[in-house]
Amino acid sequence: MKALIVVLRTMRPHPWRLLLGAFTGAAAVGAAIALLGVSGWLITRAAQQPPVLFLMVAIVGVRAFGIGRGVLRYSERLISHDVALRGVVRLRETLFARLATADDTVAAGLKRGDLLARLGADADELGDVIVRGILPFITAVITGAASVVALWLILPEAGLVLAAATLVGLIAVPVLAGTGGRRDVVGTARARSEMSENVLALLDSLPELTVAGRTGERMAAIARSDDKLSRGLDRAARPAAWAAGLGSAVMSAAVLGCLMVGVHAVAAGEIREVWLAVLAFVPLALAEVIEALPAASVSLVRAAEAARRVAPLLETGADQPYVLQARPVPNSAYLGGKSLRLVRDLPGLHLRAQNLSAGWPGREPAVRGLDLDLTAGRRIAIVGPSGQGKSTLLRTLGGLLPPAGGRMMMDATDVGDGIDLVDVHTRSLRRQVHLTADDAHVFGTTVRENLRVAAKDASDEELLTALERAGLGTWIADLSEGDTKGLDVVVGDPAGPGQGAGTHLLSGGLRRRLLLARAFASGAPVLLVDEPAEHLDPSTADDLVAEVLAAPDPGRTAVVVTHRLTPLALADEVLVIDGGVVAARGTHDQLIAGYPPYRSAWAAERCETPVSS
Amino acid sequence: MKPLDPRLLEQARAARRYVVLTTGLGVATTALLVVQALLLARIIADVAMDGESFADVQNQVVWLGIVLAVRAVLTGAQERFGHRAATAVVRQLRERLLEHATRELGPGRKPAPPSSAGKNGAQMALLATRGLDALDGYLTRYLPQLLLTATLTPAILVVIWWEDWIAGLTVLLTLPLIPFFMALIGMASQDQADRSLNSLQRLGTHVLDLIAGLPTLRAIGTAGAQARMVRSAGDAHRRATMKTLRTAFLSALALEILVTLSVALVAVGIGLRLVHGSLDLHTGLAVLLLAPEVYAPLRAVGTHFHASQDGLAAAQQAFDVLEQPVPARGTRSAPDLARTELSFEDVSVQHEGVPTATPDGLTATVRPGEIVALTGPSGCGKTSAVAVLLGLREPTTGEIGLAPAGMPAFALADVDPQSWWAQIAWCPQHPVLVPGTLRENVTLLRPSATDAEIAEAAKVTGFEDVVRTVPGEWHSRVGQGGTGLSAGQRQRLALTRLLLSEAQLIVLDEPTAHLDAGSEQAVLALLAELRRRGRTVVMVAHRPALVAAADRTIDLAGVPSGLKTEAPGLETGSQMGVPA
Repeated sequence: MKALIVVLRTMRPHPWRLLLGAFTGAAAVGAAIALLGVSGWLITRAAQQPPVLFLMVAIVGVRAFGIGRGVLRYSERLISHDVALRGVVRLRETLFARLATADDTVAAGLKRGDLLARLGADADELGDVIVRGILPFITAVITGAASVVALWLILPEAGLVLAAATLVGLIAVPVLAGTGGRRDVVGTARARSEMSENVLALLDSLPELTVAGRTGERMAAIARSDDKLSRGLDRAARPAAWAAGLGSAVMSAAVLGCLMVGVHAVAAGEIREVWLAVLAFVPLALAEVIEALPAASVSLVRAAEAARRVAPLLETGADQPYVLQARPVPNSAYLGGKSLRLVRDLPGLHLRAQNLSAGWPGREPAVRGLDLDLTAGRRIAIVGPSGQGKSTLLRTLGGLLPPAGGRMMMDATDVGDGIDLVDVHTRSLRRQVHLTADDAHVFGTTVRENLRVAAKDASDEELLTALERAGLGTWIADLSEGDTKGLDVVVGDPAGPGQGAGTHLLSGGLRRRLLLARAFASGAPVLLVDEPAEHLDPSTADDLVAEVLAAPDPGRTAVVVTHRLTPLALADEVLVIDGGVVAARGTHDQLIAGYPPYRSAWAAERCETPVSS
Repeated sequence: MKPLDPRLLEQARAARRYVVLTTGLGVATTALLVVQALLLARIIADVAMDGESFADVQNQVVWLGIVLAVRAVLTGAQERFGHRAATAVVRQLRERLLEHATRELGPGRKPAPPSSAGKNGAQMALLATRGLDALDGYLTRYLPQLLLTATLTPAILVVIWWEDWIAGLTVLLTLPLIPFFMALIGMASQDQADRSLNSLQRLGTHVLDLIAGLPTLRAIGTAGAQARMVRSAGDAHRRATMKTLRTAFLSALALEILVTLSVALVAVGIGLRLVHGSLDLHTGLAVLLLAPEVYAPLRAVGTHFHASQDGLAAAQQAFDVLEQPVPARGTRSAPDLARTELSFEDVSVQHEGVPTATPDGLTATVRPGEIVALTGPSGCGKTSAVAVLLGLREPTTGEIGLAPAGMPAFALADVDPQSWWAQIAWCPQHPVLVPGTLRENVTLLRPSATDAEIAEAAKVTGFEDVVRTVPGEWHSRVGQGGTGLSAGQRQRLALTRLLLSEAQLIVLDEPTAHLDAGSEQAVLALLAELRRRGRTVVMVAHRPALVAAADRTIDLAGVPSGLKTEAPGLETGSQMGVPA
């Protein structure tokens, strides 16, 4: 429940709209109850054959309640659904924003199926609870209280009977439905998430699983999740059945009880005959309200469960040690009152690593003791066997990971020296330091938007220049898909989720080049590029690495992690990482001369000409 | 969309027992409702008009108590078993949907659309999970109500008629107005439910794409700004939903008012006749209580129909997928690949929106036991050529020929794909990680592999070193998207998989993509091992060391008909040499 409150607070349902929803809902239900009650009175009174004029008020009341019920119900549904949907959108947006700024490990720890469940089904469930969980309770309390008061005014005993029944209905029924259902709902949620994961795993890699002959086994896994789901649903139905039965029983008892005290009272002459129908009909109408409560209660339980999964994501950022947004911008303190955010270029930006260790938080550092001076315009290459933490090091150099030891600092003209990257405002830093990860994502949108992700305000001309520099000049000029051309073509990564009809699927090489174009378009003075040559044939790969290392603007600093050695002659310095330390460093020529493993790897690369068939 | 889709009813056969049970409970509940109304009316009339005392009506009160108690039990039972029908049908439909998706792949598969009814994996997944779950409302509420309407509405009408024929006639005349209105309004909202589901799916894909790109956005520092995209997608969805709801609720409002007016018409008649003394109070009260019940099932059908629209729309989409013809498959069993020569015979694959085919007229042979490298600049069709060879897609022109030693040659299209795939192990660019342990993943191609075999294979590929660093080692769990494994580690896992497989033909797509020059040795060792075992290897290769390790190279950039790749600027690969 605590989690639910946290999440609901995030959804910020508009208080007036929520209240309006609750009161229109209560009024609608009240109208229905009043309709039956007044009708009962009217008919009994009519049977006493009074002058028709005596019935006029009641007749008008019946009409008003009849029409009012429908109209009020309609308004209530629209208001409550709107409140709920707005809340869901806000929740999704907030979740995404939190994940965007949270610790890397949080985002990486969530599987795609999980994320889909959190941002999809869970968010919907949390919207649902406003309509189906919270409002029905408020409505039931208001109308229950009003009905009890009404009967009390007619006959206090009847009021007491109804009060007792309503109390049981308002408390015992939902508690039974809720407590019993809780454990089962958890089981269902797990089975659903498991199923979602299994279905995604099957469909995402269908060709591979087909060739491997494992689709049958994956289908069996899905069938197992389905079994679990069916069992969970069945278990969840059991306490729900008890709650529904109790709800019906308790309100039936109220009808019977009110009728009995009413009969006695009429016989004793305590009340007039016309009220007897009212005493029986009001509990009858109120039964509908109480019978809706088990569902409301289950909705609350489900929402609480969804909230339990969602709330930790909302809280990330609050107490994570390394969340850049959590540290207030120290611009004024460190940067002499200048907001880096507004600065496009930092003249003389100089990144410095001092005895730097790089590693994921909570794990052993992958690389230790690195000293590196990235003066403006320097071109550095980092090579070494895979799995040695080169990518982790690159992230640390860019300030995306906190140093596992030592310091990662920046100096800049007019700003100051020795500022820890951890203290620099994230967005300012990212604008200065652009990192292209080896698994960087191409979005299922236009070429233009894919580049603008890194360069919000860039003109088409600038984007075309960036594409040209990444070797995509001719490609973009010829690109067309359906009626779209050039920058307007929607592209997609064949492995990514965002592809539909009219999408131009990119091959591995084109994808890398587009990512490089994105880096160039960003205009950042420091480029960190991880494996630009992956998935490419040797000469294209070398061209790309060379393109990064030989970028024409003299002020631009570049660090490339690569497995291609041939183009590294262009680098000012090459660092060989092996065994968690810098095993060797120097220029390309120095390493060929003085570091045998480098020389042999380079030699292997040089026998490039493929054998002809 | 029809309120009753016969295809869905056919599916519902799986759950007929429960549909019948639910309907039976509904009939019993309503019968008790009628008895309850009559008893209530009798007791009130007797006491209020005839001045009877409690002792006089005691019997009726006891009966009323029994009726109410039984109703409570039935209500519980309804809740207990009502959901089972939906569970069974949704499950069956999901299974058929996924099975259809798996059967769509094959040598006869047309290059486009990418998948059933133009759906990609994420959309299919959404349909197969949340989309179908929406059927619950249709099957547990709408369908039983529909059956109740057919049986109960006339039954209650008969009771009213029997009590008071004038009221009965009034009800009979107003009753047809409701289905008429329902049909009118249903037609209007059906279109919107369709759109709403589409929008839901678009949102799903869109948000999924943004989430997949989250690490990238974070690295660039603009992830926060993209939250706006999530909001605008969500707002679009909200507007679409509210539009559907406005119509759906408006129709509910119209129905409600229609029913209220009808009941009022009955009530006014009763009231006037009561005042004139031509009707007794018992009949008046009974009719007043029963009149709304005539309309109730119809109204419920209306309400639940709108609630089940999403489910119906999802079912419609599922049937659209299921009705896509599955490509015909060959029936010949595949020859023993250890003694069969494979050939690309003038294979071209035309991609949508790309002027030239890639590959374009590829002709080449692969002999058993040979290691062949496919080379060429990116975008020249290496991956497509592999897909054709694997029998996963149909070439636009040309075919894969199979020439078993001492037997006449035939085309891959005639071969039963199962027997073909049984002899192939394939490592694609993005190898799959199935939810399960590392061990389950590494033995994906041969679950019977022993621990010793696994250890040996992992040693060759260097995956051993990776496993050692993972807590729980071989029993640690990995999930969708490869939690805890880097791309390079995942690649090594896939290589280990290949080594454990007993397939004759090994197909590798860019096997060293994540390995650097230093650890290329591991892949070379793998190739050497495969060569020793006499396996045939077709690999998409870029690295000279790998190309050098191959017996032969098929250079796609040098295909004679003159390659014009999708990126002419990338044709640097042509300097890599032209094949004979």
